[in-house]
Amino acid sequence: MAAKKLRRARLSQELCERLSRHQIITCQDFLCLSLLELMKVTGQSYHDVQKLLCKVSRACAPKMQTAYEMKLRKSVNPSSAFLSTTLHSLDKVLHGGVPCGSLTEITSPPGCGKTQFCIMVSVLATLPVSMGGLDGAVIYIDTESAFSAERLIEIAGNRFPTYFDSDEKLYCMTRSVHLYRELTCDSVLKRIMSLEEEIISKKVKLIIIDSVASVVRKEFDTQLQGNLAERSNFLARGASVLKYLAEEFSIPVILTNQITTSLSNGLVIQADLVSPADDLSLSEGASGSGKRESGCVTAALGNTWSHSVNTRLILQYHDLPTRQLLVAKSPVAPFSAFFYTIEKSGLVLQALLPLQLSGLVSSLQSLQPSNTE
Amino acid sequence: MQRDLGSLPLAPALRARLVAAGFQTVQELLETGPCGLSKEIGISKEEALEALQVVRQECHGDAARTAGGSGATRKCTALELLEEEQAQGFIITFCSALDNILGGGVQLTKITEICGAPGVGKTQLCMQLAVDVQIPECFGGVAGEAVFIDTEGSFMVDRVVDIATACVQHCQLIAEAHQEEDNLKALETFSLESILSHIYYFRCRDYTELLAQVYLLPDFLSEHSKVRLVVVDGIAFPFRHDFEDLSLRTRLLNGLAQQLIIVANDHKSASHGFRDVQPPAVTQNAEGTEMNPRKRPRREEEK
Repeated sequence: MAAKKLRRARLSQELCERLSRHQIITCQDFLCLSLLELMKVTGQSYHDVQKLLCKVSRACAPKMQTAYEMKLRKSVNPSSAFLSTTLHSLDKVLHGGVPCGSLTEITSPPGCGKTQFCIMVSVLATLPVSMGGLDGAVIYIDTESAFSAERLIEIAGNRFPTYFDSDEKLYCMTRSVHLYRELTCDSVLKRIMSLEEEIISKKVKLIIIDSVASVVRKEFDTQLQGNLAERSNFLARGASVLKYLAEEFSIPVILTNQITTSLSNGLVIQADLVSPADDLSLSEGASGSGKRESGCVTAALGNTWSHSVNTRLILQYHDLPTRQLLVAKSPVAPFSAFFYTIEKSGLVLQALLPLQLSGLVSSLQSLQPSNTE
Repeated sequence: MQRDLGSLPLAPALRARLVAAGFQTVQELLETGPCGLSKEIGISKEEALEALQVVRQECHGDAARTAGGSGATRKCTALELLEEEQAQGFIITFCSALDNILGGGVQLTKITEICGAPGVGKTQLCMQLAVDVQIPECFGGVAGEAVFIDTEGSFMVDRVVDIATACVQHCQLIAEAHQEEDNLKALETFSLESILSHIYYFRCRDYTELLAQVYLLPDFLSEHSKVRLVVVDGIAFPFRHDFEDLSLRTRLLNGLAQQLIIVANDHKSASHGFRDVQPPAVTQNAEGTEMNPRKRPRREEEK
C-alpha cells in the first residue's frame, strides 16, 4: 500500500510529473510531507492541498469493517479459525488451538521439545478437517537442520494409527510437508518474501519456522555497533511479512525461539538509539557462569519481537521426564500451565493438576535452566 | 484589512507574483478587483477571482474572530472551560479501582496513552474500552461508538464478544436491582449485536496506511457523529523498523499526535494511543527522561 504510485491514486498526470521531479513518486513519499512542503512542491493553495491529501489518503487507507461483520465472517467458517493441537486441555484454554491468522511463538531452552512440537503440528495440519486438521500442505523452514522425516512418520503412525493404516497414506502426508533448509538471515527473509505464491499454488495451510533465533543470533552480535538496529530491522520486517501472510490466507504461523539470560547488573549497550537497549538480555556469555542468581531467563530476540508475536507458549523442564508448557501470552487465554512428556506419538499431556497462579507468575519470570540437563 | 499578504493561504507561485508586483496588504488586493489584478500580475481572470475569494474568506474569518464571534474560535474563559469539563462524561470501565485512579474513568477530549511490556494487557484494555464507551447513559456511560485502528493485528473478535456479553449481563443485573424504566428501555438496544456493529475497525499494516487513516479521520467522524472513542492499538509498532531517518519519524509522530488532538477537540471524543514499553530495568538505566522521544508518554484524550 505504501509503495502505491501516485498515478494510481488518481492524481492528474501533470501533477504526478511535477511531483516526480521532486522525487515524490509513491503515496508514502506524499504523505510524509508537511502541508507547507506540499504547497511548495505542488504550487497549490492550502485548501487545495488539503483536498489532495484526502484524495491520496483515500487511495491508501484500509477498508472499514465493523466488529460485527468480522464476527459474522468468522462464524460462517468456524472450523478454520484454529488448528487443534490434539492436546485437549491446551486447546480448551486457547479456545480451540493454535489460532489462524496470527503468529504463535514457541520458546524454550534447548532440548525441551520445540522441534518435536513443530513436527507434530505438521502432521496435524495435513489431516482432513473432519479429524481436526486443516487439510493442507505445510511449509517448514528449517534453519538448524533438526527436522527428521523418520520422526514425522513415527509420530503420524503412533498418534493416528487408525488413519495412517497404510504406507500410501503416510507417503501422501509426507508429500504435503515442504521442507526448506535456510542457513542465513538473508535467505530466510528471501524465502519468507517468496512464500505468497507458494501458498497459493501448493494450498499451504501452515507455516513453521524453526528456529528464528538460531539464525539471527548467529549473524548479529548485539555488542557490536549497529548490529542491534539491523537485527531489529530484520526481525520487524520478517514479522510484518509473516503477519500479512497469516492474515491474508487465514493460516497459522508457528515460530520457535530460544532462551537467553539477562543479567540484572545491566550491561549498558552502546547501541544505536533506535530502540535503546531493545534487548537487554543479550549477554548469553553469562549462562553457566557464577552470576546466575542475579539474572533471569527470558525469551530471546528482544522486546520488539515480543510485541510482534500474538501468542507465546513457553516450554521448560520440570522433573525429568516431565516438562512444562506455559501459555505466557495470548489474547484469549489466561496464564496456564500443563505438564507433558515426549513420547513416540509426539507430545502427550500429563494429567497433573495445573499450577496455582502465583507459582505460575514466578515461574514465568525466572525460567531457571536446570543444572541437570 | 492591514493583514500582510504573506500570511494568506494562497499558492506559493501566486504569492510570489503578488509580492513581486508590489502588493503588500489585503486592502490593496481587494481594492484592485479581479480584472485589474489579472492585468497587473499576468494571470487569468478566473484565477484572480479565485484568489480574491480566498482572501475575502480569510478576512471574514478574521473579522468574525476579532468581533468575538463563536464557532471556530478556540477562545473562552477558564470558568467556561471548567463548566465544560465538569459536564463531560467519562468512559467508565465498571472496574471501580481503575475508574477511581483515572478520576472517574477515561476522560473525553483528551488523549490517554497506555504503555506496557508485551503481553501485559494493553490490547485487552483497549477492547474493553471499545465496549464500555457504548454503555447507555442511564448506567453512567457515554452511549457512544468506537473507532479501532489496529496496527499489530492483535484484535480478536471472540474476545470482544466475551467482553461485550459480560458487559450486557452486568447492565442487566443493575437494571434488575434498580427496576427503573429508563434502564430497562436502554437495555433493549444495548445488545451484543449493536455493540459489535458500532465498533469500526481499521487494519493498518504500515505507517503510510496509519497516516492516511488519521488524515481521513475527521471526515469519518463527521459522518459517524456518535463516535466517542478512537483507539490506536500500537502507535509505535509501524515506526519501530525500517526507519533510517529518525527526524522524519519524530516529525510524523508529532504530526499524528497533533491530528489526534484536533480530532479530539473538534469531535468530542477520547483517543487512545498504545505504545510498546521498555521493561523497568531499562527506564532506570536511562539518564533522566532522555529516552527515545517516541516512547515519551503522550496523553491524548479527545472530548
